[in-house]
Amino acid sequence: MQNREEHDWLGLIAAIDRVEAQGDRTLQMYLKTPYYPALQELTLIRPVRFLSPKAFPDSGTTAEGIKAPIGTGAWVLSDYQKDAQAVFKRNENYWGNKPALEQVTVKIIPDGETRVLAFENNEIDLIYGNGEISLDSFKQLRDSGQYSAEVSPPLNTRAIAINTGRGPTQDVKVRQAINRSVNKDAIISAIFYNTEQKADTYFSTEVPYADIGLQPYTYDVNQAKTLLDEAGWQQPSGQAIRQKDGQPLTLDLSFSGENNVDKAIAEAVQADLKTVGIDVKLLGEEEQAWNDRQANGEFNLIFNDTWGPPYEPQAMVSSMRVPSHADYAAQKELPMKAQIDRKIGEVLLTTEETLRQQLYRDILTTLHEQAVYLPISYSTNIAVMHKDLGGFEFMPQANQVPLGKLSKS
Amino acid sequence: MKLTDHYVFRRILQLVPVLLGISIVTFLMIQLMPSDPAAVVLRVANTPATPEAIAAMREKLGLDRPLPIQYFDWLWHVLRLDFGRSFVTNQPVLQEVMHYVPTTLILTACATTLIFAIGLPLGIIAALYRDSILDQISRVFAYIGVAMPSFWLGFLLLYLFSFKLGWFSVTSRGSIADWVLPSITLAWAPAAVYARLLRGSMLESLGQNYVLYARARGLLERLVVIQYALKNALLPVVTVFGLSFAHLLSGAVIVENVFALPGLGRFAVQSILNRDYPIVQCYVCLIAVLFVVINLIVDLTYSYFDPRIRFGKQEV
Repeated sequence: MQNREEHDWLGLIAAIDRVEAQGDRTLQMYLKTPYYPALQELTLIRPVRFLSPKAFPDSGTTAEGIKAPIGTGAWVLSDYQKDAQAVFKRNENYWGNKPALEQVTVKIIPDGETRVLAFENNEIDLIYGNGEISLDSFKQLRDSGQYSAEVSPPLNTRAIAINTGRGPTQDVKVRQAINRSVNKDAIISAIFYNTEQKADTYFSTEVPYADIGLQPYTYDVNQAKTLLDEAGWQQPSGQAIRQKDGQPLTLDLSFSGENNVDKAIAEAVQADLKTVGIDVKLLGEEEQAWNDRQANGEFNLIFNDTWGPPYEPQAMVSSMRVPSHADYAAQKELPMKAQIDRKIGEVLLTTEETLRQQLYRDILTTLHEQAVYLPISYSTNIAVMHKDLGGFEFMPQANQVPLGKLSKS
Repeated sequence: MKLTDHYVFRRILQLVPVLLGISIVTFLMIQLMPSDPAAVVLRVANTPATPEAIAAMREKLGLDRPLPIQYFDWLWHVLRLDFGRSFVTNQPVLQEVMHYVPTTLILTACATTLIFAIGLPLGIIAALYRDSILDQISRVFAYIGVAMPSFWLGFLLLYLFSFKLGWFSVTSRGSIADWVLPSITLAWAPAAVYARLLRGSMLESLGQNYVLYARARGLLERLVVIQYALKNALLPVVTVFGLSFAHLLSGAVIVENVFALPGLGRFAVQSILNRDYPIVQCYVCLIAVLFVVINLIVDLTYSYFDPRIRFGKQEV
């Protein structure tokens, strides 16, 4: 626990009081307070892991790093060429169901088009993930009929956070108007070729405690215009952009310039908001600058995806209290922010199911009514594979690669 | 001979202030970068960047000291080839960088060889058979090379030779064949430029009096072309090569991306995006030194092609 501070973004780590070994096979964990997602968070790929005794450093504390990444997983890293490829061999001593494949090679190919070409040239068996290849390529491979191409169930939410503490978006009516102005159906069909579903709420109704019947902000340009009029942003005749006290209604939208999908969405949002008289400046910057904006709150609108299972809703909600996230920056100036944070604190501690559901309902309803987020779509992973590959199934977590049951004939 | 030694020595001596200047610029450049290095280290370690944590990290990294002291400390380490540790991997920077150097070095070496192997004959032939079909072919070759972006050219080559014809694999298999398509991609544009450049300067020198004189002496035409015309015509090509070496390296970034080669360019771009400042510093220093050395070699080659340069003002 010496490294606690590095990992206390995760509620469990902050809740752990001490850990004791009870004999060879039992570990006892003492929590300072009750914490209902404890078991879920132990399943995360990091920061809590099993480590082979041989991999412990000589000092005995993993706070100083480890000797080698030897865990308890189904695969053993047998060859690694940095930035080129990694070869994994099946762990013959694996405690669970052993993978069907003996060996898997992961190739590092930075360019999406080259990935497709290598796949078509039979040098790769499987392409898996989100944004690994363009959706145009995905569509082309799928339509060729020569390969299996699949889309996963929704994994997390692609959303835009709206800053409640900066410029015109301080007004809830402006935020609601934004929510009503964006034609998500058009984005889904034109940008995603229907590989992703439209999102109406920040958390999908599949997320635990999130199926609370929130009323979606439907696409309604007239309603949006009325809301903007009510907020005092008038459209002078003959001008495209609304004004208030002589100031134009201009917002900035920040995204990572490396992310082509977000860029395409940003352009669609820009065009949609223009029709209701909002001028959107696109800030496509390098990833780090975009991260910086998330933390320091220098944005009106910013792309901010949710984390997907198993982080939703508890870890995601918990992080809304931490200043290094866009969620915090976006919510900061809500009049009821203190109340939200208090309820987040409570919801993680309560052991009573009905109270927990009620608290989640309160938190998520407030955020929805205050229109702090503009949900776009529930993002998915895609998989393209050659037809000699069998046993493929999607995993519940976005970052898990489904290799366990895969077989090659 | 003694004079040549003197010239080489003088040129090397001139490098000292240049390299010192590079080191100052490299060091200061990092100070101008938008993100605080201390905040970057914290972010990479997933530690919340509270003001206290940043202050503690600044002290640990020595960023709280006056700038000149930081510089001399850095320079002292750099002179012993210690560029510090990467913010991202915590490995020694030089070790990280050297991992990627061979790929880029092989790539640029192969490309350079190709540039001269294709560019020189093409330029000479185009000049000797001016306005013939060969000249036209070389012209088309040049237009394509200059007009086509290298990522597209690389992709077309992959599509044709790997996918359609199956001659090469798309991803690296660790054989010599891996280098063929990337080298062609990287070499095409410069080879085209040099061919045209050489054609022009060949035509010029073929019209000079010394060529006429050589022909009048009844020397073999081959000797006239190579010994008299080409030797003089090469001077501008060599000049441009020295200057465009940087282009070759920056072109390598794109080629490394398209062909999935774990090279220095790709690594440098990634490090810049990660704000891994020590790596960026090391990369800039390395490239600057390489650039200076290449230009030194180019200067020395001049003196071979044109002895007047070597002797300076002491006209013979």
